[in-house]
Amino acid sequence: MIHLKNLTKMFDKEYAVKNITFDLPPGKCTALLGPNGAGKTTTLKIIAGLMHPTSGQVDLSNGMRGDIRQYIGYLPQHPQFHNWMTGKEFLQYVARLSHIPYPESKKRAERLLERVGIADAKNRKISSYSGGMKQRLGIAQAMIHKPSVLLLDEPVSALDPIGRRDVLNLMEELKQEATLLYSTHILSDAEEASDEILLMHKGSIVESGSLQDVKERHQLDKITLRFEGDMQSYKEKVEAFPFVTHTDIQKKKLHVYVQNVPEARDVLLDLVNKEQWPLLFFEVGQTTLEDLFMKVVKEHAMADHL
Amino acid sequence: MLLTQNAIEFINDNLAIIAPLLIIQVVLMITALVSLIRAEATKGPKWMWALIILFINTIGPIAYFIFGRSQE
Amino acid sequence: MQWLTIYKKECLESARNYRWVWVPLVFILFCIMDPLTTYYLPQILESTGGLPDGATFNIPTPPAPNVFMMSISQINTLGVLVIALITMGTIAGERKSGVAELILVKPVSYSAYVTAKWAAHVSLVLLSVFVGLIASWYYVQLLFGDVSFIHVMSSVAFYVLYIIFVISISLFMNTWTKIPGLVLFLTISVILVLNLITSIFSHLLEWSPTSIVSHLPALLRSGEVGQNLWMAGLITILSIIFLLFGAIQTLKRREIV
Repeated sequence: MIHLKNLTKMFDKEYAVKNITFDLPPGKCTALLGPNGAGKTTTLKIIAGLMHPTSGQVDLSNGMRGDIRQYIGYLPQHPQFHNWMTGKEFLQYVARLSHIPYPESKKRAERLLERVGIADAKNRKISSYSGGMKQRLGIAQAMIHKPSVLLLDEPVSALDPIGRRDVLNLMEELKQEATLLYSTHILSDAEEASDEILLMHKGSIVESGSLQDVKERHQLDKITLRFEGDMQSYKEKVEAFPFVTHTDIQKKKLHVYVQNVPEARDVLLDLVNKEQWPLLFFEVGQTTLEDLFMKVVKEHAMADHL
Repeated sequence: MLLTQNAIEFINDNLAIIAPLLIIQVVLMITALVSLIRAEATKGPKWMWALIILFINTIGPIAYFIFGRSQE
Repeated sequence: MQWLTIYKKECLESARNYRWVWVPLVFILFCIMDPLTTYYLPQILESTGGLPDGATFNIPTPPAPNVFMMSISQINTLGVLVIALITMGTIAGERKSGVAELILVKPVSYSAYVTAKWAAHVSLVLLSVFVGLIASWYYVQLLFGDVSFIHVMSSVAFYVLYIIFVISISLFMNTWTKIPGLVLFLTISVILVLNLITSIFSHLLEWSPTSIVSHLPALLRSGEVGQNLWMAGLITILSIIFLLFGAIQTLKRREIV
């Protein structure tokens, strides 16, 4: 399989990718999640061999050796084609480039065009294709040589809802045939299609693991409170309890992360009663992956504004 | 009058020599026009290229082939 | 065969672009222009009324090999410009538009990619130069007198080496920048500078690729290939190999983004 080791890529002294290390889990579908500019495209391009890392390396194992390009299929974010060719001609061309014999290349091109749903347009020039059709042709060209790893850069974000549905279904099928690594900046797309998640932020991987694990890790119990007046004094008092792991104030709300919800709820409500604190809002809940993602995106947006 | 007669005479005498030149220029122009008609998009309006191809001898069709066709 | 696949694709592209038609026709026009205008010069002068009454003016008819050389110098200027224009985007354009990303992410050998593109352009341009010079020879033969076909062919054989050299410079420049216009500028600049240096130091640089043209009149007249021409030919072939090798190495180090 594919292993990234201490991969770093710099553009003019700026880190695009900063010392990332991960093993691509074989047979799984992994989402490379992160806000725009987090380094997702750069990471994919380095794996595909289109960019050279500043330091670190991409290693192969499990019987893969030599030119990594023979094992991977790659779909760029905005695929461009030879627009003077027909869809079928282009697929056959890239098939032949992948050392597939002529008769087989013809068969595969036909079959894939059928499969991605643009068989009707196979003999039309690519210049007449719509954006969605080009995206489908892009997926077909990535699959033409039956690669064991598929790298898809934002495969669904530019599509309309129907196209998006189709491509997600297609990815679901592809999971059976290849290891998938795809980037997205939309959390729900990542949650829908992937088994594993890599959350990227400013060129680093800030969270990774199976979707379930990551979710659980971020399912902290929390109690959210709001009082009249300054929250800071309440925060200090609440922090003293042993069941409180930590607290923070966001948008005038006090978030109390706790270990034991029933106990914490009772103690806190008692305290509010006894001390006559002017309570405005009380909620028991859990944090989600979305909270983490939003935090990362927000930090990113803040950094951009500075 | 004399001049035109001379010209006609001149062309008659030299037809075998000049004909290939004229034929190549016409074929070049026709090829450019066919390409223009079949093109889905050109850089700049099609009618402009049509005028250039028709009225600027030799250079017109060459300019169209090099600069007029929108690549990719 | 990956190489053949790319070569065929390039040829197909030239067919869809009508290049197989217009480039040879344009080269024929370039080549027959000078023989015809030289032949008709007296009539042209007369019709423009350039000569005062009574003035007799004898324009000497140039020797046939000189007229053939006029065609070669047309190719050397206008022809080279057309060659640079049609090759300026062959790799740079694909990288600029982003197609190169889809092509080079397949297990394509960089040497096949560069040399197949080179070979396809060489095929088109050599065909064009060849038909152009044959047309020129036909007119020279018809209007100015005999030039040996064998001499013409051996001159063409050496001259096309220079033309292939020009195509190789363009391919090389194609790997240095993504901007086709800049490729054109660099290619033409290199050729101009080489020509300048060769003419300034002509006594020293008799083996430069650009000096091939200056050896051709002698070859046309005598049919004998001088030692300098042999050496210039050899140097040109070596330069072509060097340029192609350089192009492949440069492209390998480039990031295809």
